[in-house]
Amino acid sequence: MQTSLRFIIIIFLFSFVAKSTSAQTYNQLWIPDTLSGTTFNLIMKDTMKQICHSGQQTITSGFNGNFWGPTLIFKKGDVVHMNIQNKLNDSTTVHWHGMHLPAVMDGGPHQVIPINTIWQPYWKVTNNAATYWYHPHLHEMTEQQITKGLGGLIIVRDSIESALALPRTYSVDDIPLILTDRSFTSQNQFNVVPYGDSMVINGTMHAQYKVPAQIVRFRILNAAIERSFNIGFSDNRNFSIITSDGGLLDAPVSVNRYLLHAGERIEILVSFTSQSGQSFDLKAYNSTLSQNIAGGDIFTNGPFVNALAKSDFNMLHLNVVAQTSNPITTIPTTLTTNVLINSTTANITRHLTISDSAGVTTPTILGPNAFILNHKLFDIKRNDYQVPLGNTEIWEITSSSAFGHPFHIHDVEFNILSVSGAAPVAAQAGWKDVVFIPGATGGGPGNPGTPTVVKFIAKFDDYADSLHPFMFHCHISLHEDEGMMGQFVVKDASSSSGVNEATGLMKDFSLYPNPAGSKLYINFEDPTMQAYYVRISDMLGRTKLMLPRPQLLGGIDISQFAAGTYFLQLTDEKTKQSVTKKFVKE
Amino acid sequence: MKLLQTICIALILFVVVAFKPSKPTTLVGNVVHDFALKNVDSKMVSLHDFADAKGFIVVFTCNHCPFAKLYSKRFNDLNSKYIAKGVPFLAINSMDTLVYEEESFELMKQKATNDNFNFPYLYDCMQTVGKDFKAEHTPHAFVIWKENNQWLIKYSGAIDDNGEHPEKATPYIAIAVDDLLHGKPVKMPETQSFGCAIFYRK
Repeated sequence: MQTSLRFIIIIFLFSFVAKSTSAQTYNQLWIPDTLSGTTFNLIMKDTMKQICHSGQQTITSGFNGNFWGPTLIFKKGDVVHMNIQNKLNDSTTVHWHGMHLPAVMDGGPHQVIPINTIWQPYWKVTNNAATYWYHPHLHEMTEQQITKGLGGLIIVRDSIESALALPRTYSVDDIPLILTDRSFTSQNQFNVVPYGDSMVINGTMHAQYKVPAQIVRFRILNAAIERSFNIGFSDNRNFSIITSDGGLLDAPVSVNRYLLHAGERIEILVSFTSQSGQSFDLKAYNSTLSQNIAGGDIFTNGPFVNALAKSDFNMLHLNVVAQTSNPITTIPTTLTTNVLINSTTANITRHLTISDSAGVTTPTILGPNAFILNHKLFDIKRNDYQVPLGNTEIWEITSSSAFGHPFHIHDVEFNILSVSGAAPVAAQAGWKDVVFIPGATGGGPGNPGTPTVVKFIAKFDDYADSLHPFMFHCHISLHEDEGMMGQFVVKDASSSSGVNEATGLMKDFSLYPNPAGSKLYINFEDPTMQAYYVRISDMLGRTKLMLPRPQLLGGIDISQFAAGTYFLQLTDEKTKQSVTKKFVKE
Repeated sequence: MKLLQTICIALILFVVVAFKPSKPTTLVGNVVHDFALKNVDSKMVSLHDFADAKGFIVVFTCNHCPFAKLYSKRFNDLNSKYIAKGVPFLAINSMDTLVYEEESFELMKQKATNDNFNFPYLYDCMQTVGKDFKAEHTPHAFVIWKENNQWLIKYSGAIDDNGEHPEKATPYIAIAVDDLLHGKPVKMPETQSFGCAIFYRK
């Protein structure tokens, strides 16, 4: 009797599950537009998007759109000029994650773009072909601003990657996938929380997409606030990883699961040859995650647990359709020859620590128990390291934290030397800018367990700057906002533009014509003088234009300014002193 | 043994990772005070100007917020419907005009003209009224009602639950005002307000 009752209950539950599954309707995966060339216009705005199936629109922010921005396509060797306009309701910054560029262009917490201001960084693209991204980095606001949808992908192309027979028809056989999770209030608004209870891929919930019956490339970014995704396919198929964060691997690495942490990117090749008409799911197999990996939490309540916690869930439903003309049908056996940094060339080993609070009181969300770097909270006025220009450095990170943390460094791509004494796995044996630092093993109350040690090596070849530092931090935005971040300057000891500035007063300059029409020119008293920064504000002190290391020969375009009086503050490259002059726009 | 270890680590994590403080303090029931603010026609407007008013619909809105922009017609409709029943509609702009050029008084006038506002659009340039109401976003809607010669907040939150599709929306404000006009307690006195944050100068 009891057995049959159980049987009936099971049947009942099964029918319920089957019903809810079949009732699910998919939404078409949204694919960001692309922008290419050498000048990129990005406007950040507050806007809204129908993310939830019905009811209120969700208030979002976007670059040129309403959730995530366009995919920027760069060519290695080009100088790219960014024209970034902040039309948000709040200040922000835009960081070019993974890009090797001058600190003053990096968009970290120091390069704050006020409301209604245009910021124009530029740099020469020296990164290898791979997938990078851009996102806000305003200290203590990063989690909130990324949650609202600010961010986008960058694709770098180079001659090595272009020479390979790889899928690269964007949105057809080369598909960007931005993985996030979100949760919503009863009014369909984003909760600003580390873990969402709904998978959102490219800003789409319950997404599906058509893929051709051939080799398809997915460029996958983990843009989640905290959650890691253990990527796999519903038929357990193998896929080939071809890039780590910062470039091609030597050869494709075939796996059936890959654990991608916040901030990390991989590009994968998947064969759908002869599978036209079939459907598969791209899934996160997070039920197997240990409890010290983001997404594997086993709490029974609180903000860290929800429907996605420690469970397997669908990310994208894939419907295989007919082959395209000229399909890629084979996966190359080799990709490139990476010349990794020889560990014996290191000038220094820096020792960093990650720990759980260690008595430091944090002011905000995590209370007195935030995770911290080097037993110190982030201080925007403190430089943690001065890296001599040209240094090759080993960074050895020892973590006693009970939790794993994805560690990101700005400025450089690095090579992982070891993780807990072992060489990096094949898919990480190339160029990286995020490395996962596993939590200490075997700990318990009163017993911190065995700390984990991760080592990487990087070269700091160029872009010395005494004023603007680069960041290193946990890429879990909540932890970063809470102060799990530090900064370093790259110091050129041989030049006067090192940390100890040249003494003496900066030379004079004048602005002409004054009053000015559409262009304003700067005349330097000393022709060798260079501008480190130009900032133009109006009479009320509102910043209008921020020009890091401007190229001034063609003048400054002020054609969009309203008529009136303005102030131009110029910071001199050599002395780093600033002088402000007034001009009139007609 | 392994389970024990797991539980231990979970306990550590539980201690390590404290929770966000939950804040929602209700605005409903708060007393708000009469004010004198300049309307877009340059005349001053106060609550006591409306001698017969039983209550007011007060919406904090602004020029530049994309979400607030969706509601101009609904504001006019609310005023048309409820001013005759003794519940006039007032719009107040408490945005920081020093930071947001689009929130200048001149551009408020333009917006009121372009959107045919049939209600006062008031310039809270010192942000005192926004602070008194504790308005958080544009739009943030309130219904205030006169009780014992005081103005009490009876509803705080969103205007409705569908910005882009008014025909599908549940009209929260209208429901609250109807409840009050029928002498009934407001069924849904508080919903979430969202849109552009109003930042208050210190």
